[in-house]
This record gives sequence, C-alpha cells and structure tokens, in this order.
Amino acid sequence: MSLKNCHNFSDFRKLAKRKLPSPIFHYIDGAADDEVTYARNTSAFDDVDLVPNVLRGVENVDLSTTIFGKKLDLPFYLAPTALQRLFHYDGERAVGKAAQKFNTMFGVSALATVSVEEISSMINTPKMFQFYFHKDRGLNTSCLERAKAAKFDVMALTVDTITGGNRERDLRTGFTSPPKLTLASLFSFATKPMWGINYLTKGKFELPHIQDHLEAGTSTNTSIGNYFSTMLDQSMNWKDAEKLCAQWGGHFALKGVMSVEDAKRAVDIGCTGIMVSNHGGRQLDGSRSPFDQLAEIVDAVGDKLDVICEGGIHRGTHMLKALSLGAKACSGGRLYLYALAAAGQAGVERALGQYKAELERDMKLMGCTKISELSRKNLRFRK
Amino acid sequence: MSLEDNFNFEDFRRVAKKKLPAPIFHYIDGGSDDEVTLKRNTDSFSKCDLVPNILASVGEPDLSTKVLGSKIDMPLFLSPVAMQRLFHHEGDKASARAAEKFGTFYSMSTMATSSIEEIANTASGPKMFQIYIHKTQGLTDNLIDRCKSSGFNAMCLTVDTIVAGNRERDHKWGFTTPPKLTLKSLMSFATHPMWTINYLTHEKFQLPNVSQFVKKSSSIAKGVMEYINEQYDPAMSWKDAEYCIKRWGGPFALKGVMSVEDAKRAIDIGASAIMLSNHGGRQLDGSRAPFDQLEKIVDAVGGKIEIIVDGGIRRGTHVLKALSLGATACSFGKGFLFALSAGGQKGVEIMLQRMKEELRRDMILLGKKNIGDLSKENLAFRD
Repeated sequence: MSLKNCHNFSDFRKLAKRKLPSPIFHYIDGAADDEVTYARNTSAFDDVDLVPNVLRGVENVDLSTTIFGKKLDLPFYLAPTALQRLFHYDGERAVGKAAQKFNTMFGVSALATVSVEEISSMINTPKMFQFYFHKDRGLNTSCLERAKAAKFDVMALTVDTITGGNRERDLRTGFTSPPKLTLASLFSFATKPMWGINYLTKGKFELPHIQDHLEAGTSTNTSIGNYFSTMLDQSMNWKDAEKLCAQWGGHFALKGVMSVEDAKRAVDIGCTGIMVSNHGGRQLDGSRSPFDQLAEIVDAVGDKLDVICEGGIHRGTHMLKALSLGAKACSGGRLYLYALAAAGQAGVERALGQYKAELERDMKLMGCTKISELSRKNLRFRK
Repeated sequence: MSLEDNFNFEDFRRVAKKKLPAPIFHYIDGGSDDEVTLKRNTDSFSKCDLVPNILASVGEPDLSTKVLGSKIDMPLFLSPVAMQRLFHHEGDKASARAAEKFGTFYSMSTMATSSIEEIANTASGPKMFQIYIHKTQGLTDNLIDRCKSSGFNAMCLTVDTIVAGNRERDHKWGFTTPPKLTLKSLMSFATHPMWTINYLTHEKFQLPNVSQFVKKSSSIAKGVMEYINEQYDPAMSWKDAEYCIKRWGGPFALKGVMSVEDAKRAIDIGASAIMLSNHGGRQLDGSRAPFDQLEKIVDAVGGKIEIIVDGGIRRGTHVLKALSLGATACSFGKGFLFALSAGGQKGVEIMLQRMKEELRRDMILLGKKNIGDLSKENLAFRD
C-alpha cells in the first residue's frame, strides 16, 4: 500500500498503522475506556440524512468561510494536536505548510514539537495557538506572550483535560513521549526501522513551549495523561478563563464546551468562539458527541460567537451536515494525523485535497454554491 | 501477565475464562434463554450521553454517599453472589476483605460458602445479608437472627427468583454444585488443574448458612437450580416480605423490583431501599434493564425510598449515569466476580481500585465535586 492508494480517512489510517510503531499508532488511534464516545462521534452523523435540491446551476462552488475574523478557503481547519514529530519527523512543519497551501487555519498545540516562532516564520496563513492552563503561571504567561509575538491569530483554551483520560491502549503499549523502549514496545519499534531511523536522525525531539518550565527532575519522558494530571491546574475556573481572554486581547475560544449553559457563559466572558468537542473521545467516555449536541448549542449562542464542530469527521458530507445545522466551521485531529504519519506534508496535502474535492462534489450534489446556503432545510433526522 | 495488567472488566473476564473450568466460567458469564436482557443491561447505558461542565474548579471530588444506613466511600458496592468459593478458593472472605478496604458494602448470599459468623469475624466494613424466603419458616428466622447478632448492617430480600431461570449454558456444561464430573466437564476440569487443585486442597465446599437445614437424605450435590426450585417458597408474598422487614428491624432492601407499582408497595411495607435488578439477566429474559427503568422509578418514588441500580455496570461512567438519573448507589456482581476468579482478594481490590479511579477521574471531567451534585442536567438522551 502506498500514498497513491489512499483515497479516504480509513486508507490513510491503514497506511499509518503500517508505518508507525504500535504504541504511537495506538496513541493516535485510541480513546478513553471502551471508546464508546469515540465511535459515536462519527456514527452520530448517520442519524441524519442530507436532502438535496436540484436544478440550481452549481458550476462554481465557493467553499470559503470566515471564522475568528479570518477568511478561510475551506470550511474546516486542522485542530491542534500534540507531539506531531512523533508521527512524522517533519511534524508541525509538514502540517503547517499543507495548511498554508489550502489557505486554512493551522492549530498549534502547547505540546507542539516545533516552536511558534519557527511556524510563524514559515507560514503566513491563519494560525491558532492551543493553550493549557498550567499550575506554573510563568509558563502560562510565556506561552501567551510568545504566541502574541509570533502573530498568532487565535488563542484556544482547552477546558476538557482537567485530568488525563483513561486511555487503556496507552496503558497496554506503555506509550510515553518521547518513546521509551520497553520489552513490549521494543519489538514494534524494531519492526518499523524507517520510523526509528528518521526519529533518531532528523533532529532532537523537543517540546519547545514547555520544556524550559519543567520542574527540575521532571523529564519530558512522561505520558500525556500524566502531564494533564500533574502539570495542569485542576482548580481552573471561569475567572481564570476570563482573565486569559482579556490578557490575550484577540480572538479567544474555549475548546471542549459541551453544555448550553457553559456555551452561554463563554459568550459572557468575551469568547469569540467555542469548539464543541469531547477531545476526540479521548477524555470522558460516555460523553455526548459534538454533532449530537450541536443544534442545542447553535440555537443558544450561534449568533453570538463562532461555533465549531470538532470530532468524528471523516468525510465532506459530515462537514456539510454540521454546517447545515449551523456550525461556522469544522475541525479535526485524526482528520490529518494519519495522513501525516503516512507520508508527511505530501500525505496531509493529499488528504486535504480529497476533503476539498468531496466538499465541492457534495455541495454540487446538494445544489448549493456557497456555505451560507446550507441550512437545516437540507437535513432530515431519522429518529 | 500480572494482575496489575488488568485495566477493566473485559480484561478480568478474559483471565477468568482462562483460569476457570468451563462449567464454572459459563455459570458466571451466562444469562437466561437468549441472553437478550443480559446484553441490554450494559447496552442501556449507551442510550444517553454525559454532558460535562467546564471550568468548574472541582479539586478533589468526594465519592462518598450514604445508602442503607451506612456511609460508603464510593457509590458502588458488591452485590450478593452465591457460592463464591467455586470461583476462587478464598471465596466470600476475599470479597468481604476487599470491600472493607474500599469502605463499601460487601453483600453475603444465603448460599454463601462462608458462614455469617465467619464473615463477621473476617471483615469490619459495612455488610448486607441477602435472604431468600425458605419453605421452612425456621430457616428464614434463624438467618435473620444470626445476622442481627453478628452485626450485619443491612438486609435484602431477593424477589426475582421465585423459580430458577433457564440458564442454557449450565444445561450445556452440566453445571452443578459442588461440581460433578460429567464426560463433557471432565476435560475442562482436567485442563484447568490449578483451579482443581486449589478447589480440592482448601476447605471443603459447603453452604454453611443453610447446611444444617438440608435433610440428611438430600445431598447438597443437587444443582443450585434444583435447590432454588425445592427450597425457595414460590408462595412468597408481600406479607412475607413485610414480616422479614419487621423481624430484621434495620435498613432493608427488596432486590429485584422492576415495576413502579411494586416500588410504591415497597415503601408501604416499610422497605428502606429497592434494588432495581433483573438478577443480572439470569432470570426472565426479555425483561427490562434496570437503567432503562430507572427514570420512571425515580419519578414515582425518588426521595421516598433509596434506589440501587444493580445490573450491567462495567464502568465508572455507568455509575455516574445512574446517579445522575437519581439512583442512590449502584452494585455489581459479575463486575467483581471475574476479578475474584482471576486473583482472589487481590483481584477484587484491583477491580475496585480501577472503578474508584474511573469514578474520580470522570467526576473531575464532568466538573462535579460531590455525588449530590449529579443531576439530569448532566445527561442528554439520544431518542
């Protein structure tokens, strides 16, 4: 199997599985507990069907949308994900360049393996920085200031990782970052020599945004769950979020809002957007899927801030369903991560190109030429 | 593989399957008829999703709650289960000690393989005795009085075993207690020599709570089903239940209530709790799952009687869903039995530890500090 055989999400996933050592593949592919929520995130889209309109003259489709005051050529963007250089040695460099090529937003994680400064010098398209609220206030300030100086357009505060999710696949494979060789993982690393050679020869693995702030004695050799549980401030509250929002002074979003009540509060503290998300099913299993919850949220706050549907998106039609319900845009992590793991920048570009082609085709089949023409009239729920 | 490598119910189930002779494994694992209800008991939790609150500054959540007159450290306890020494040679003592360690109820079956007095001397945590109405009045009175003088904290009367369920796996495997060797089961016992050696070299298998009442002529070597059909009084009525409640005079639950009407009657006769249960899908197949029925029951009798959800619980999130809907606490049988089979007391402790960790983590992710903070607001039904 090679890149030219990858035609969709699940093809990229297969190729990534072949290329990555298994602890790393399962870190991307896994979710919390029984992965019920993870499965629901995608299957939720099947509860509703698209109802096309015909004879509308659709030769030119415009997929552009405006979120956080930025016009994007696509109605979806690349959600921030941690540790991208583990998946491919080019990591964020590959993803950022691919995002620029398609003029969509690139989300950079606080746990990125390439610095905001480098990314900013590399691409001039819209950029979002994803922020964790650490116990170490110096680290928080440093993150904000560096992102501001690097001219990032949006700050997103993740609010659904107060403690680490129960990712049992990671417990079994012994996933840590950087990878540690255990007897169990050794075999897997040994059978994927290309990954190992690239990892060791293409520059040191770093977490440039946080590593200067790790307490003496804390190695970066930790599990993500452990990082969430020990370094993040569990007492984080609405006041803290409001302060950060003011301190940032630009477009500010909460990532991981699920309840209507919290969505309203996000408006009150000055947020300009929210990501309806359960962290890709990786935190609280049994929690509601973004698409299931979307209509309620849009009804309550859709006219006051940008509502972004994040999670479970594998197809252009999934995006069209979310946009028809009233989301301003969609985003995803695995959406491009398997492609990154499969083939670096070329892989991500191929995946983005396919989503774009799907969106164009599906918009035409729906009888729509602009994103703003999508509405709930295009949807029927099965019940 | 060490016991510590078991992260969840399914892991322990797999180990138990490996360790136990097939007739015994299937006795635990099986339900009645087509096992439709057995499956629905767990599946029912997926019909609704949790909706977390963010930025709630939860800190360390308090998992304690009060049920049946005792404060317990977590809202989940061990259901009464017969013949535990068949599953592991430490039997009831193991479960009682593990429950004590985690500050929650251990429940003893009338058909326990340790005596009331023995368990009272073994573990000082909260204890509940599960009673059946026997045809011989003296036997029922004798059990109640012994529990009283041994300091048991609560009692429950099982009302869903008027006749034995049709457990076809037991027919197939020739399950009897004590185990009788048939040609079919012989192979299985021979291929699980450790179980067999432990079984034969530790104290003799007996049912000490009832042994003195079994006629000399009738051997205990009858199948449990036969025992239930012969000893339990199918004429058991509300009057008998009321009699037990009076004679006991302490916290008392009816185990196996499913209808709203019966729940109301339970209040009338002075019961302090009902256990919403279909006996783990082992009695009437096609009957309703406890979680499916919970909302109706809460609407009718919530606040007037304690409601315990028993059946299908595999995860901390299942417990939280039941509590959000208005249950006072949850209990499980298979949930700890596979762990008992896999590793005796240590196994049960690990399972309880996992559940406790899940509950703690999931409360934090839900944004809730106390069990009392959970409400329907945290749930969204998919309909």
